[in-house]
Amino acid sequence: MVAYEGEVTFKHAGMGGGGGFKAAVKRKMTGESLALMECTGRGLVYFAVDAQDVTVVELDNETMQVESQQLLALDGNLRTDVMFSGLRGATSGQGLFTTTVTGVGQAALLSAGGPPIALEVSPQHPLVVDPDAYVASRGQLNQTFVTDVSWKSVIGEGSGEAFSLRFDGTGVVYIQPEER
Amino acid sequence: MPIEKVNSKVVKAVLTPGRAVLARRGAMLFYTGDVQFQPHSAGGAPGMGMGGMAGMAGMAGRAMAGENVPMMVAQVGGSGAGGGGEVHYGHAGLHVQVIQLDGSMNLSVEADRLLAHDAHLQTSIVFLGQQGGIRGAVRGAVTGQGLFTTQVSGQGSVAVLSHGGSFEIAVGQGRPVVVDPQAYVGHVGNLRVDVSASVGWREAVGKGSGEAIQLKISGQGTVFVQASEQKF
Repeated sequence: MVAYEGEVTFKHAGMGGGGGFKAAVKRKMTGESLALMECTGRGLVYFAVDAQDVTVVELDNETMQVESQQLLALDGNLRTDVMFSGLRGATSGQGLFTTTVTGVGQAALLSAGGPPIALEVSPQHPLVVDPDAYVASRGQLNQTFVTDVSWKSVIGEGSGEAFSLRFDGTGVVYIQPEER
Repeated sequence: MPIEKVNSKVVKAVLTPGRAVLARRGAMLFYTGDVQFQPHSAGGAPGMGMGGMAGMAGMAGRAMAGENVPMMVAQVGGSGAGGGGEVHYGHAGLHVQVIQLDGSMNLSVEADRLLAHDAHLQTSIVFLGQQGGIRGAVRGAVTGQGLFTTQVSGQGSVAVLSHGGSFEIAVGQGRPVVVDPQAYVGHVGNLRVDVSASVGWREAVGKGSGEAIQLKISGQGTVFVQASEQKF
């Protein structure tokens, strides 16, 4: 948050808020860190982080997976949880788990280097993305971890290791223009 | 309007005879036309008619206050009559906002956020203690903003830097606005800036080691807030 006006109170959305007790425990165990604070009252609150781009996503009774550090703010009636997301974290340093946001409402996503790019995934067109560019995804998607990619080593990045996220199914994947 | 936005990070100053611009040293990107650059000495070169700090006292004050970002004067060059030019300014990829002052209200901003302004505007260093008494001074010390701020007055345009761009929040009677000290850019108008440490959202998100300082801004005017907590 950068500013607010009106009567607003802030509290740590630890165990109670942000997805409930079970989610909090899971979060603790999995190391998927999502530090939320709860804003209540009457007023306006302005949020921003590190000059990153912000995009508001409307969720209509669906589940979105999001990289916890790319989640800026969300409606209080949305639920957050932690989900196993495959064996990617061990190598990409982003944890083996991902945060999910479920329900009806709005969520604000952060992206570095510009607005996020929404990529359509269909059964005919699976998608492979760089884990460092991955922001969020929604829809009926199956996420797998691919090691057998050479484009990263081709451009000389990463010390021989080349890992990617592969998405199969039907949905949308949001990526950011700048790698973490 | 001598200073105008070219894009979110670059401004253009149009110079005509008798219309000079002051800008942060090193911020000039390129220029066209008949333009002359000179360091802006606090004493003020004779005959230049610059506003700004007057004489040695001003210079000493500026140095003491730490509000001493070196500035350059750009003006129409020697040949004079009928000449003119355009200077483009930008700094470190930061966003720029052009603020128009109509003479009725002052702009308070930190010196290192000033990119360029009309040379005929007055700038002065203000001890924060004058603004909010001792609490104003405490504010500066606590937030790392220093005990002094730069006040710009007169009629003209000022280009102000911010990380990630800044937006305006109108402050009206009885409706204070609370701003993160790191995100605070500056303000225009009759505003009182107080430190408050009560609510503590920083503490709530686990940021900052227990310190939860906010700026509570009340009065009549506009406050500028940037989309980042980065200082420069």
